[in-house]
Formats: sequence, structure tokens, C-alpha cells
Amino acid sequence: MPVHADQKSAAVPSFTCENLQVTLVGAAGANVILDGIDLTVARGEFVSVLGPSGSGKTTLLRVLGGLQEKSGGTVRSADAPVEGPPADVVTVFQDYSHSLLPWRSVRRNVALGIESKLTKPECAERVAEALTMVGLQESADEYPWRLSGGMQQRVQIARALAMRPSVLLMDEPFGALDAMTKASLQDQLQRVQELTGTTVVFVTHDIEEAVYLSHRVLVLEGRPAHVGLDLAIGLPSPRDQITTKESPEYLALRHRVYEAMGHGKRHA
Amino acid sequence: MSAMATPDKTSTAATAPATPGRGPGRRRNGHSGTPVRGLLPLIALLGLWQLAGSPDSPYYPPPSEWFAATRPLVENGTLLPALGWSALTFLLGLIIATFLGASLGILVGASRVADRALGPGLEFLRVLPAASLVPVAALILGYTMEMKLAIVVLPATWPILLTCRSARRSLSPVLLDVPRTLGLSRKERLTKVVLPAMTRPVLLGIRVSAPLALIIALLVEIVTRINGLGALLGAAQANFESAQVYGLLLIAGVLGYAVNWLVTLLEDVVSARMGTATG
Ligand SMILES: Nc1ncnc2c1ncn2[C@@H]1O[C@H](COP(=O)(O)OP(=O)(O)OP(=O)(O)O)[C@@H](O)[C@H]1O
Ligand SMILES: [Mg+2]
Repeated sequence: MPVHADQKSAAVPSFTCENLQVTLVGAAGANVILDGIDLTVARGEFVSVLGPSGSGKTTLLRVLGGLQEKSGGTVRSADAPVEGPPADVVTVFQDYSHSLLPWRSVRRNVALGIESKLTKPECAERVAEALTMVGLQESADEYPWRLSGGMQQRVQIARALAMRPSVLLMDEPFGALDAMTKASLQDQLQRVQELTGTTVVFVTHDIEEAVYLSHRVLVLEGRPAHVGLDLAIGLPSPRDQITTKESPEYLALRHRVYEAMGHGKRHA
Repeated sequence: MSAMATPDKTSTAATAPATPGRGPGRRRNGHSGTPVRGLLPLIALLGLWQLAGSPDSPYYPPPSEWFAATRPLVENGTLLPALGWSALTFLLGLIIATFLGASLGILVGASRVADRALGPGLEFLRVLPAASLVPVAALILGYTMEMKLAIVVLPATWPILLTCRSARRSLSPVLLDVPRTLGLSRKERLTKVVLPAMTRPVLLGIRVSAPLALIIALLVEIVTRINGLGALLGAAQANFESAQVYGLLLIAGVLGYAVNWLVTLLEDVVSARMGTATG
């Protein structure tokens, strides 16, 4: 697959946030959720966002994806300010069961974003390619509600990949899956990301997953949340579920992230 | 470039018969048996009536008399056009009600502000008895087809409007984010995501609205005597043609039954195509 992202100037980051503030209006009135977020995501970078539940990870991702308005500061995607979803940024949602259209087959779900922009043969080719990348070519004519959770999430990822985005935003994509499926999908994602040079912003609850997959890990903390830890993960690629996770570097990095998340301090 | 498949629990082989698209599916058999079997008691009752009833009874003439009394209407060419008018009123009314109910319901359900502002007003209009509108509509529109339609459309709109409103309100926000992040235009978002998601609620509403529309259509015809099956019924009653009244009543019953059966069939076909509900 061609490496689209790298053809553009590598100097322009995928995202730049300066002093970003986000206010959400809930039942109890307006709430400042994120405040003073400064963030740069380089092209081709894999960045994970961690933080306690309710800290604003999803909110941050939605702002980057143009699905949520900010209340202050700036957000730029490539070199344009984000107003609505940018053309080459695609979000993969945590709630895969509600993000697939039950009246469309897997094939037509994957085609949803490209069918009106490409000719039929081009579209069919892209869909087949995306389904192959996630190992679902055999289920193309199946309906999503007849697939397992892991397969449904892979359909959603294929749908995003079919767009050939330069940025993938993923909100706890593997959160609801069992350990086996999760490990397998992590490695698939890692491979696809290396192959396509796509920038990935990856929200997760799972510290090990974040360290294992990322070039960089961010931890949100406080209320309203800001970036508490910004840790480069210098592990060699490609990574391996066994050897990488046994390496002392991995364990040391994991230790630092656990600490930043507030674990282990009580016993010290 | 092909990546490894995950060890999923669902084997694709087990679910292989993936007939692409349509195919009404298995549930239909359960329904197609019922229309005849469910009618047996009624047919038995009519048979009993035929045996026990006296042909001279002024109030309870037996079924054979009904046919004899209704036949002249067929022969002088009044029954068929009347049926046509009633069916036209019913169908047009239901179609207009569906468009009106679905679009208003989706609009109101999409905006929390509109939902709060219009909710009580809609509730009031919903409980307003349709028959009480006849004088008003006759006053404004005269004794015309438009008047008939207006009176049919109004009550038939509510069930569809209300189901669409609550379905739109409870539509998963994720489902609305999907077409945005995939860069679909406003029009595509509506035609490819929102409207298909509303198909089930619309059908649910139609299921309630269809019999209602038929009842109101006949009622308006009976009251106003504007051409249609109801007008014939009204005339027969005014002339004390009791056998003819029963005959026309039977026809109206068959019409109602057919309408209900068609709606159920439609629902089954759509269910099979749409899979399990979203949201
Ligand atoms: N639509 C909304 N309106 C008002 N407040 C909201 C809305 N959605 C979320 N919030 C609030 O914003 C805060 C952050 O929510 P968010 O979903 O971004 O958290 P999160 O970090 O993704 O949490 P989790 O890990 O549980 O998914 C929460 O305190 C939540 O109560
Ligand atoms: Mg979240």
C-alpha cells in the first residue's frame, strides 16, 4: 500500500493543540472537561492517551476528530484549523455494535465512506483490500449482527482503513474484547500502521496495551484534565507480544506509566 | 499484506448461507398459516347463522340474504367504484400521514429544544378525537375528497409521528457520528443512515395507523355520504336494507383484514432485510 502520509511534508504535524479548552454542557450545567492542553502529534506517530475514567479521553479524541467543538485555544489538523471532521481523519468508535449499519452487509458497511467518491470497481477493490488487512475477506457478505464482537470491531477498522486516512483516531477499540482477540488485533494494527504510515491516536484503559503499541504515551490528569505525563516509548519495532513484554525497557516504561496513573504509591 | 485472522468464536462456515441481500427469511411461514386458520371460527359462526337465521328477519338476515342484497350494487356498478374511492382515500391518507408523521417526528426528535417545546401540543392534538374534526373540515373544505383526506390524515399521522420522534430521540449518537467521520454529505447522512434507521419505527407506526386510517375513512364516508364504501353503508342503513348493511360490513371487514395482513407482511420482509434493531 502506498505511503500517502509521508508524501506530504513530514515537518507538518498531524495535530497541533495549543492551550485547548473544552466545555461540555451536562444536566448540572457547563463543565470544563479539558483545559490547557498543549499537544503535537507528528506524522506517522502512534500516540496513546491514558487517564482515569471520566477524565476526558473520549472528549479529546472527539475534538481532534472534529466531532466536538472546543471552547478555547486552537486545534489544527495538518495545517488547517479543525472545524468539523477533517477529510483524511477517521475515528473508530468504542461502541462497534452501534457504529455498524445492521441493514448493510459487511462489504457495504466497509464501502460506506468511499462508495460515492470512487467508481464501482475502485470501491470494490478498496473494500477487498481493507477486509484482507483485517482478515475478514470471507465474511464480506455476512451481516454485522451475525458476527462476533471482535469481528465487528474489525469491520469498523476495515471501514476506516478503506478511506486510506492519514490519521486514525481510535477510542478504546479493543476494550470489550477477550485477551486472545485483543492481542491478535493489536499486532494487526501494529502491522497496518507500519505498512501505511498512518498516524494513530489511540485511547485506552490498558497501560500494557498503550506501552506495547505506542511511540508515545500521554496521561491525562486533573479536573479539568491536562497532559500530566508525556512519555516517549523508545522500544524497537516491530514489537512482539512475548519478547517485547519481557524486555527490561518495556517493564521500566510500564512502571513509569503505572506511577503516573497513581498506582503503587499507596504502598510505598 | 494479508494479516492473520483472530481466533473468533463464530466460524464463518457455520453461518455460510449468506444469500446476498433480500429473502424474506424464515419467520414468514409462521404468518402465512394464520390468515385462513384464524378465520375458521368466524366462518363457522356465519355457517351457524345461515342455518339458524330466518330469511325474513328484519334485523338478523342470514348470510345468503346479504349476498342477494349486495349483488344489485355490483350489477349496477356502484360497489366497485365505491370500493375504489374508499381504498384511494385510505391509501392516499396513509401515504400522506406516513410522510408527514415521519418527517415531523424525525425533526422534532432530533432537537431537544423542539421536543420540549412541541411535546405538550402534540399530545393534545393526538388525543383530539378524529370524528370531532368532521364539522370543522367540512366547513373549511366543503364535502370534498380533500376534506375526507384531511380527516383521515390527521389521526393517522400521530402514531407514526410519535414512534419516529422517540426512535429519533433514542438513536445512538455514535450512529450519527459515523457518517460525519466518514465524510458523508448532509444528504447522504439522511438517506444512508437516518432514514434506514427509521424504517422500523415508521412501520411500527403504520401498523397502528393503517387500521385507524381505514376506520376513519369509512366513518367520514358514513357521516358525510361522500362516495365510498362508507357512503353505501350509510345509505343502506338509512333505507333499512339490513341485509345489504351486513353484506357491506363483511366487505369492510375483509378490507380491514387485508390491510392488516399486508402491513404484517411488509414488516416481516423488512425485518428479514434489516436484521436486529439498532439503538
Ligand atoms: N455529552 C456530554 N455532556 C456533558 N458532559 C459529558 C458528556 N459526555 C461526557 N461528559 C462528561 O465529560 C467528562 C469526560 O468524559 P469522557 O467521555 O471524555 O471521559 P473518558 O476519559 O473517555 O472516560 P472513559 O474512560 O470512562 O471512557 C465526564 O466527566 C463526563 O461526565
Ligand atoms: Mg471514553
